[in-house]
Amino acid sequence: MGWLRPSHFFSTLDGIIPSSMYKRTFVVALLFNLWNLTALSQAQTRAQSQPVLDPQQLVQDAIQRQRAGDLAGAVPEYQEFLKLHPEATAIHSNLGAALAGLGRYEEAVAEYRIALKQSPRLPSARLNLALAYYKMGRIADAAAQLEKVHIEDPSNHQALIVLGDAYLRMGQNKDVIRVLAPEAKNYPDDLAIGYMLGTAYIRNKQVEPGQVLVDRILRNGDSAEAHLMLGTAKMNIQDFAGARDEFAKAVALNPNLSDAHVLYAGALHLTGDSEQSSKEYQAGLAQDPYNFEANLQLGANAREEHDYGRAEQYFKRALETRPGDPGVLYQLALIDADQSRLDPARQKLEALVKEYPDFTEAHVSLSLVYYRLKRPEDGKREHAIVQRLNAEAQAKQPGVKQQ
Amino acid sequence: MRLTRRDWIRLASSCGAAQLLVPRMFGQQAAASKPLFAEVPPSASGITWVHENAMSPSRYLPEALGPGCAFLDFDNDGWIDIFLVNSGPSDFWKPTKPVRNALYKNNRDGTFTDVTEKAGVGGAYFGMGVAVGDYDNDGWPDIFVTSYGKCILYHNNHDGTFTDVTSKAGLATPGWTTSAVWFDYDNDGKLDLFVCSFVDYSGVKKLECGNNQIGRNYYCVPRVFKPTPSFLYHNNGDGTFTEVSKGTAIEQALGKGLGVVATDINNDGRMDLFVANDTVQNFLFMNRGSGPNGRWNWDEIALQAGVGFSDAGRPRSGMGLDAADINGDGWQDLFVANVDHEMFSVYQNNKDETFRDVAQENGVARATQLLSGWGMKYFDYDNDGLVDLFLANGHPDDMIDSYSMHVKYREPLLLFHQGADGKLHDVSSDAGPVFHRDFAARGLAVGDFDNDGAVDVLVGLNGGAPILLRNNAAAGNNWLGIKLEGDKANRDAIGAKLIWTASGKTRTRLKNNGGSYLSSHDPREVLGIGPATKIEQLTIQWPGPSTRVDKFTNLEVNRYVHIREGGEISEMPSAKGQAKTG
Repeated sequence: MGWLRPSHFFSTLDGIIPSSMYKRTFVVALLFNLWNLTALSQAQTRAQSQPVLDPQQLVQDAIQRQRAGDLAGAVPEYQEFLKLHPEATAIHSNLGAALAGLGRYEEAVAEYRIALKQSPRLPSARLNLALAYYKMGRIADAAAQLEKVHIEDPSNHQALIVLGDAYLRMGQNKDVIRVLAPEAKNYPDDLAIGYMLGTAYIRNKQVEPGQVLVDRILRNGDSAEAHLMLGTAKMNIQDFAGARDEFAKAVALNPNLSDAHVLYAGALHLTGDSEQSSKEYQAGLAQDPYNFEANLQLGANAREEHDYGRAEQYFKRALETRPGDPGVLYQLALIDADQSRLDPARQKLEALVKEYPDFTEAHVSLSLVYYRLKRPEDGKREHAIVQRLNAEAQAKQPGVKQQ
Repeated sequence: MRLTRRDWIRLASSCGAAQLLVPRMFGQQAAASKPLFAEVPPSASGITWVHENAMSPSRYLPEALGPGCAFLDFDNDGWIDIFLVNSGPSDFWKPTKPVRNALYKNNRDGTFTDVTEKAGVGGAYFGMGVAVGDYDNDGWPDIFVTSYGKCILYHNNHDGTFTDVTSKAGLATPGWTTSAVWFDYDNDGKLDLFVCSFVDYSGVKKLECGNNQIGRNYYCVPRVFKPTPSFLYHNNGDGTFTEVSKGTAIEQALGKGLGVVATDINNDGRMDLFVANDTVQNFLFMNRGSGPNGRWNWDEIALQAGVGFSDAGRPRSGMGLDAADINGDGWQDLFVANVDHEMFSVYQNNKDETFRDVAQENGVARATQLLSGWGMKYFDYDNDGLVDLFLANGHPDDMIDSYSMHVKYREPLLLFHQGADGKLHDVSSDAGPVFHRDFAARGLAVGDFDNDGAVDVLVGLNGGAPILLRNNAAAGNNWLGIKLEGDKANRDAIGAKLIWTASGKTRTRLKNNGGSYLSSHDPREVLGIGPATKIEQLTIQWPGPSTRVDKFTNLEVNRYVHIREGGEISEMPSAKGQAKTG
């Protein structure tokens, strides 16, 4: 969730950043931003020219700079050293951490990958790679790496928490429960785990275990997390107005929480305040540009307003968070269809129905696209599939069974 | 905030979270001294009939759908009367007190007299809707009533009474029928009949849906019931009808029909049918004419036309609907009212048998996001020459208020005015006090009951008294009211096209039929011309079989006229003058 982004876990530089930096907090994005600002500031004041150092001096100086937060100064020294010693796995990893600290995630990923190629069981490099993916919004890639970290080191609490958060963002509630339920027993007072696990239970309609975790949150008094959980519960029972009020309180208590804004936006939308809803989605994205729900909804809004360029931007970012998400791919196909780009629309829809043959809406749209492409026989075929799927769904209805 | 575990359990177990009552924020009151539409209370109109919805603890779905209503001139005196449909005995309800439809005769002074008993149109089944049409071309309107149970065709005896001729006519349509429309699909000069069939509700044991969040049964979402085919009847010209939907696309299209409008989508001179379905796709039946096998060709094209599903590929809960040429391009546009969160559809005709939903651009989507629409009508309420929109709304679940704060069982009426920009603008907040009240509205009919040229509105309420609304919005604009009478064409002139020019501006109107929900409108057409003082030219293109064209020039305004196919024109009663033959 928004306030549990693992940016405070970022750059677990081998042996340089103490583990005390990993202390969990509910407000971490702010810390991360401050950290970046410090690094940038120091980089700007760094001396332009440095005396030529031998390799040993180079790497020691780079480490010192990195410890001091002078990431921009450390990077060229690491790079210089690696020209001489490309086999130095730990330095690739350190360079990756420095680059990630500067927000240069693509380069950081490349360095972590080299480190892992040279030493596949280097857990800190894999964790850092996962965190870089996470920050880039490549949540599925992050989760894949974190699963490997978890397999290699089941006691890595930090990896588990980030993994749980990744699954929560991906909407994979069962995986959140699988990963965090055992951990919750080891850390019964951990509010972060309590929130994520409780939310997953609630979303997964498992009310009883959700209640236990809610109790823990509530014991800590009025908090954004408590209001978010209550709001989520109210959403589940379709008390949208009640949920809206809970989310509004969460946003007021902690405006830095991306998901609080996004959930509030969703409730506002459902209670008819589209204008404020859009603003809250935007506020959510300001906190977390890769929030899936915010990108999806703002994309849909933009599409409804026929602002297709903007819609595509949102949807593509949503896809970065959840690659291959059929709902987003469908929206991108609809944008093509809306703009009479019928062949690209057809290709996307054909791919969708091939992978998801029961995706009725995609069949509807594919049928329509075929008709517009003057391929009535294909359109009829797709329409027949729609009718079959609808008939199958209809046959499962209780009113039909009674007759 | 301190919430106990008990609070949490209460919330999570869906036993109803505490609800805050938020008063509806009213918009500004109309600046004018008279509201655009003013309610005529029962004490003033004499309409004391109240709809009995038969609401039961089991919440049988037919209880939630009625009633329909109609403006008609049953006694041909030139003053519009009112017909109201009621529930009645059924296999799930036995009334403990008399329940009947109502026919109110217009007293020509703003009041009405209940003549139901004499007329013999009280009904016998669980009534739903009404379609008025002169099926035997005798010049007197007949009444077709749909129901859960059996339909009834009342033949007009020309003396203030009616005879139930259902069996003789062959129209005892079974099942659960809703909206119906008279139209001449084969242009033979006789009105045929299309009847919407809703769901298969024939189970011996009626399905109860429950319990809801407050532990009671609620009205089932129609999704749970099987769809059914609708019915098309051909008029044999001898007082009988033959069902001709067998083997056609109409029979093959299994729907849950609630609304139907007959219109000409592709301007080919043949009336097509647009059907709003609940929870399944809408149908657009294109009339392709007679086939080589003697069977009439209907082509169902809603999906490819873009009116079957939402633009995200989902079926919606279509209920009310209408057709009109909104943008004055000579092509019929469509409208569908859906349930809350689905938004209503404003379909603009692309002139190639496809449509584009422009509800978002018109502001209709946003205004209707939380509403469920039933009765509705595209009409020029202020006689400025541009087509406007009136919507009657209400959620089908009477308990929705108990577990939703944002969707209400009773909902406001909505009025949209078409501006010079060609868009529909929500003017409800300034249209009068009645727009600040909430209703369980269902059927809606429009008609000029006081003959002043301003088209009034009648709204049927589920379980309540109907609302009669007097139109004050057309004051200051000029108009011409026309009753068309076909000779070779069907007597009601369904399918006729009117083309008129005033102050150099030419407008057209197709005489569609049906539309709205369960209801039937005043058969006369009122042509609004704004400040223009005369109609320079009026052309009437009669439908087949004659396809004759009659033209009139320099017509005086602010009066009703009766125009017969062939060019004969005579004056009719209006609020501003005596009837006289021209």
